[in-house]
Amino acid sequence: MTIDQVRTELKELIVKELNLEGKSPADIDDAAPLFGAGLGLDSLDALQLAMSVEEKFGVRIPEGDEARKIFASVNALADHIVAVKSAS
Amino acid sequence: MDRLLAGDRAFQHLTLFSLPEARSSIAAEIHDLSAAEVAPEGETEAWSRTDTMAVLAARDALTGAGVHASSLPIDLIVGGTTAGMFETEDLLAKLSNDPSAIKPLNRMISHPLTAPADHVDAALGPFRRVRTVCSACSSGASAVALGAVWLKLGRSERVLAGGADGLCRLTYSGFAALGALSPEPCRPFDRRRSGLSLGEAAAFLLLETEAAARARGAVPLAELRGWAIGSEGHHITNPERDGHTAARVMMQALARGGLTPADIDYVNAHGTATPLNDVMETAAIRRCFGARAAHIPVSTIKGQVGHTLGAAGALEAAVTVLAIHRGAVPPTGGLEEVDPECTLDHVYTARKMPVRAAVSSSFGFGGMDTVLTFAKCETFGPPPDVAQRGVVITGGATVGPLGVYTSAQSLEYLSPGPPPDGGSIAFRAADHLDLTRARRLDRAGRFGTVAIEKALAEAQFTAPSHRTGAILGASFGNVDASTAYMKRIYAKGAKYASPADFPNLLPSSPVGHASIYLGLHGPALAMSDLNVTAETAMTTAIELVAAGEADHLFAGSVEETSPMIERCLGPVCEGIVDRGPRSEGAAVALFESQSAAQERGASILASVAYWTSWRGELTPAIVADLPAAPADAIVLVGRRAASVVNVLKGTSWQRATVYTLSDRAGDHEGAGGFAVIAGAAAVAQKKAGAALIVGKAKNRGYAVLLAPPPVGGESARLL
Repeated sequence: MTIDQVRTELKELIVKELNLEGKSPADIDDAAPLFGAGLGLDSLDALQLAMSVEEKFGVRIPEGDEARKIFASVNALADHIVAVKSAS
Repeated sequence: MDRLLAGDRAFQHLTLFSLPEARSSIAAEIHDLSAAEVAPEGETEAWSRTDTMAVLAARDALTGAGVHASSLPIDLIVGGTTAGMFETEDLLAKLSNDPSAIKPLNRMISHPLTAPADHVDAALGPFRRVRTVCSACSSGASAVALGAVWLKLGRSERVLAGGADGLCRLTYSGFAALGALSPEPCRPFDRRRSGLSLGEAAAFLLLETEAAARARGAVPLAELRGWAIGSEGHHITNPERDGHTAARVMMQALARGGLTPADIDYVNAHGTATPLNDVMETAAIRRCFGARAAHIPVSTIKGQVGHTLGAAGALEAAVTVLAIHRGAVPPTGGLEEVDPECTLDHVYTARKMPVRAAVSSSFGFGGMDTVLTFAKCETFGPPPDVAQRGVVITGGATVGPLGVYTSAQSLEYLSPGPPPDGGSIAFRAADHLDLTRARRLDRAGRFGTVAIEKALAEAQFTAPSHRTGAILGASFGNVDASTAYMKRIYAKGAKYASPADFPNLLPSSPVGHASIYLGLHGPALAMSDLNVTAETAMTTAIELVAAGEADHLFAGSVEETSPMIERCLGPVCEGIVDRGPRSEGAAVALFESQSAAQERGASILASVAYWTSWRGELTPAIVADLPAAPADAIVLVGRRAASVVNVLKGTSWQRATVYTLSDRAGDHEGAGGFAVIAGAAAVAQKKAGAALIVGKAKNRGYAVLLAPPPVGGESARLL
């Protein structure tokens, strides 16, 4: 799976799992912060996203400060998924 | 209490079920519970562990107080959120594989939220009046507060109030998914705390008016001084960081009991040991008590018996009473190194000390906060008197087969017309809600929020405050979503439990979401009572407004289409068969104190001239003080119930035209809400001189009489 495919699937996952009705994957900026301002996501969304990323990609998101970096943006999350997948 | 004072901790490896990959595998379990001990022979299949522990605790409370429901009039209020979930969750998951296979099954009798109350009534009753509160983790405390309201209103002399919740996979996996479960026994207020530990319990308190207790020579354990219920309106799972709502509710509970911070010698904290709760609660205690906060001993029993959810508030109230009575304060188990953000006078080992008055706090999902205050008997003067207030309806709305209607438009449900198709109603959320803010609301949450918003608009009510709240019922909670959630856990494992879905499975989720979306900060409660769920919510709202607990309460119920209710729970629990497809909808009325309504210049649709509720069969004696019917009176019934009409025979109400709302508004448990809304509109538009709403289900019922708006300052117009 290329990094572009991972990014596209991630955005589809975000829209579906976090019930972003009225938004399309194309509305999500790959480099923009995922949490706080922007999409208005919070810690409950982070938990849901971590669970669904693990379900879909088989990649676990660690807890705590590490998660903060991984969840920084779609780009950062996609990088993490690709890095873990290629290492295994 | 001796074991709590000794510092014993009840956590062990979970034996009731196993959920591999669930973050934790410990809990404070009750062992050797046997339904055979309390259930009639041959009926144990229908009695859950929650039912069993509820009956055992209720029996102990009655025995300890030296009273029996068969010889003295006693009312019953039970709080809880899981009921028979443990016994039914695997069945739900299995049935969901093939909805056409869903059939009436006896084991499901223990599933409804009202099952614990019904089984306590069956084993220890008859109780005169019974209510079920299902407001997540503040249910038990809110049950006690509602009991106090009944005593204050003079509606009861004696109320057995408490809560019961058993462990189940659904709550265990849900808290695990939220990252809220501690892998080790929990450590409230400790620097190293990593979440809560779950437990299970039942606890009941016998509340009695002082006069009634003295009349039978009873020796009281303590005095229930004050109570307050408020809503943070902040987030469905996370508490406010600065604790300002919790602090405000604590102050209200003190004021209600005529107490000041200087009178309080002990704080029995909610203290779940989640990182967020303990910081918020510390901030709230500091805000409420100011400089004195550093000198009041604080402890929570959750470090010893875990978080017992709907039972916790009642259990902790009982412990607070015993701390006052025995002059001994239990420690916080597991607390060793206090978090610098949680510095208070924490109790590490039990302290023997006189306690003049104490506070017990409970906080639930959706930000539902309930605080109780207790005092040593004969230590403080009488608490301030609150006069009973007149209650009026100033707005209403329905979400039904005809659309999203105000109460005025809802009058159409009384016109002749074809019955609705049944099944789902047409409803486009985007037409009514900001979907960005409403994205977490499921269908029931959306129905409820839209109904409240429409009622708010009809009532031209622009300034909701901390005196504005909501009570929403759902007959069986969110059973189909719970089914889907459990199916996923069985199929994929507990680590794929959805953290976002879990809070929506709680029966209090619609009212929690509505209070967040609309900024309602007064009392928020969830209620349930099978076929008369809308009536139980509305009657409770009338009582809370009459007692001065709130000025404005939106109340009603929400139902969704549900194969599980239509094919299994309805037939088994309500005896509903051959009615065709069950429908869905919501109905909400705005109940206000007459003075609050007049102050804001509201246009009053109808006034509440009379209300009652009962257990057992409806007899003429129950409605003996029902005012006489004027010539153009109407009777409105939610769901078809022939016996209602029979009871009115021989009274002035037998001439009244009877309308059955489910004929036009759809057949479901919330039809009684449509009856109240249409009745208020009929009175307001002078189509009826008075409207009597009667809700009747198996072994229970409610009646509310709506009359024309009062003239001048009179509190209740005589018919």
